[in-house]
Amino acid sequence: MDSFAGFVSLSLVKATPLVFAALAGTICERAGILNIALEGALTVGAFAAVAVSFATGSPVLGLFAAVLAGIALCALLGIAATRFGVDQIVAGTGLNLLAAGGTAFGLVVVFGQPGASPEVHALGAGGEKALIVAAFVAAFVLQAVLDRTPWGLRVRACGENPRAVRSAGVDPRRVRVTATVVAGALAGIGGAFLSLGELDIYSDGMTAGRGFIALAAVIFGRWTPLGAAGAALAFGALSALQFVLQRAGVPSELMQALPYLAALAALTGIVGRARAPAADGVPLDERPAHIGRMAKGSVENRGD
Amino acid sequence: MTYGRARAIFRGGLVLAALAALGACSKPAMTTAEGESATPGGTAPLRLAMVTDVGGLGDKSFNDSAYAGLQQAKARLGADVQVLQSKSAADYQPNLTVLADQDEDEIFAVGFLMSKDLDQVARTYPRRHFAIVDAVSSQPNVASMTFREQDGSFLAGALAAMVTKTKTIGFLGGVDIPLLRKFEAGFTAGAHQIDPSVKVLVKYVGSFEDVASGKELAGVMYDGGADIVFVAAGKSGLGAIDETRARPNVYAIGVDADQDALAPGKILTSMVKHVDVAVFKIAQEAHGLKTPAGNVEFGLRDGGVGLTDFKYTRAAIGSAHIARLATIRDAIVAGRIVPPATREALATFKPAKL
Repeated sequence: MDSFAGFVSLSLVKATPLVFAALAGTICERAGILNIALEGALTVGAFAAVAVSFATGSPVLGLFAAVLAGIALCALLGIAATRFGVDQIVAGTGLNLLAAGGTAFGLVVVFGQPGASPEVHALGAGGEKALIVAAFVAAFVLQAVLDRTPWGLRVRACGENPRAVRSAGVDPRRVRVTATVVAGALAGIGGAFLSLGELDIYSDGMTAGRGFIALAAVIFGRWTPLGAAGAALAFGALSALQFVLQRAGVPSELMQALPYLAALAALTGIVGRARAPAADGVPLDERPAHIGRMAKGSVENRGD
Repeated sequence: MTYGRARAIFRGGLVLAALAALGACSKPAMTTAEGESATPGGTAPLRLAMVTDVGGLGDKSFNDSAYAGLQQAKARLGADVQVLQSKSAADYQPNLTVLADQDEDEIFAVGFLMSKDLDQVARTYPRRHFAIVDAVSSQPNVASMTFREQDGSFLAGALAAMVTKTKTIGFLGGVDIPLLRKFEAGFTAGAHQIDPSVKVLVKYVGSFEDVASGKELAGVMYDGGADIVFVAAGKSGLGAIDETRARPNVYAIGVDADQDALAPGKILTSMVKHVDVAVFKIAQEAHGLKTPAGNVEFGLRDGGVGLTDFKYTRAAIGSAHIARLATIRDAIVAGRIVPPATREALATFKPAKL
């Protein structure tokens, strides 16, 4: 029983940064922004949290800094994708590289040493638990917001048919950028959980691909906040199980590949149908594929 | 064929020819530049450079230790020191090439991860001198530095088996690769040398950088009854040490660099791999205008590997155990104990009578 409780708490700890990042990914994709910069957002969040806690001695201020850093990075993606029409994948990749390089440089500037920061004041066990609870509360809140509020409806519409949103008098660019701001805040907290919740240091590469596993969780959770959080929890439990059962000889690399295999299974329809929002990743001045098909002929000659 | 088309083709051909000529010119130009500068000048300071592996500086372990060797060369030989860090495996070759293009006397590749890339660069720059840590290269212009990690790990395992109260100890590796299995096999054999009934839990993080997972896995091992965990996991190990710090009655054993001060009193000892000693030795050879080459294996005898001096844990361990460790160390140096370096060798390992 004791070991079962240990397994559950380890699963929750493993899942929490994934939940934050997967919720961030979900809200972005529902608005039509394919946010592959989640890894970068986790990274800058983790770094900013430790840097500000180091400078001020306050881990709570560190958490705020993580939120701001995540917002800055993701909003950059939102603005690049909507105002400047940059390809979302290219912009996201660039931001991931910027986050990795910027934090590596920041380590030298802030702490005077490369690689890893010294120990700073962390949020402690209480703060860690509070963030775990917050992750799952956020999933329910986000689900309700998407399903039941006018803003949620706009977000969903932006992800399916941004032209309809524009014709209703709402600027889809603004909706999409707002979605990236919300996502940035969530992913920033996810990063802070890693560096200030679980640990008390920042170290280069510490996010270790969690942002990409979160993208898999978005797909496996079928683009709903509760689904994504559930998938993230399942992935967390899987890696906790891998930790407990692992012994020499069984390749841990296989277990690490499981989330991606699960996402592939979801996409290929092995475990039920998964359909991405129609305008997911589609720039605003392009028609989603099925809209183009439906409206063939009538819109084609309008020249926009 | 019309006249216009023929002209277009001719023009295209000219451009191609010009490009080919450019390529032909630039190649010999590059090799002469290298040829002129390959011999170190008598009065000019020794120029040393190193490329880190993905662990990077600040790992408080392997790369930092190599860097310490270069710093020593700077202080004692007046060497010029340059470091290029690698963010990913894709950086190895570019980094090595950048340094090979410069006027460096000796270029250190830190880590076996770079061995393939280094061999390739060494072939392209046959007049440059390279040295690699933890791998054996067949190139004539590459000196290889390897370590008998299994010997030092054997001592760590023996110490852990003497100190454990739960008769359970753990080994936490970074990535499950032959190099790390040298630590694992030596550590396990060392424990069995003292007490064959001691249980050794073995786990791997799957990454040298995932600090959080390192912490969680250490927690799993301590929950599983281990009270001493040997952490050989690069930066992931920093998380394991963090977990150790938070728990009563458990110890970690550090690796590569002297990590004892990271959590004073909570780190029983560190299995130090003196990459700095090896790097400094090669630097000295380069300074003496001797060309470092071939493979040098560093072990217990020359201080290449070994345990720390128990600065914070001497009282907790006790002098009887420390004396017993010295006996085992002497037996390894004398060849009466041969610590296994692979799981296969571990399976047939029999504790030696001392």
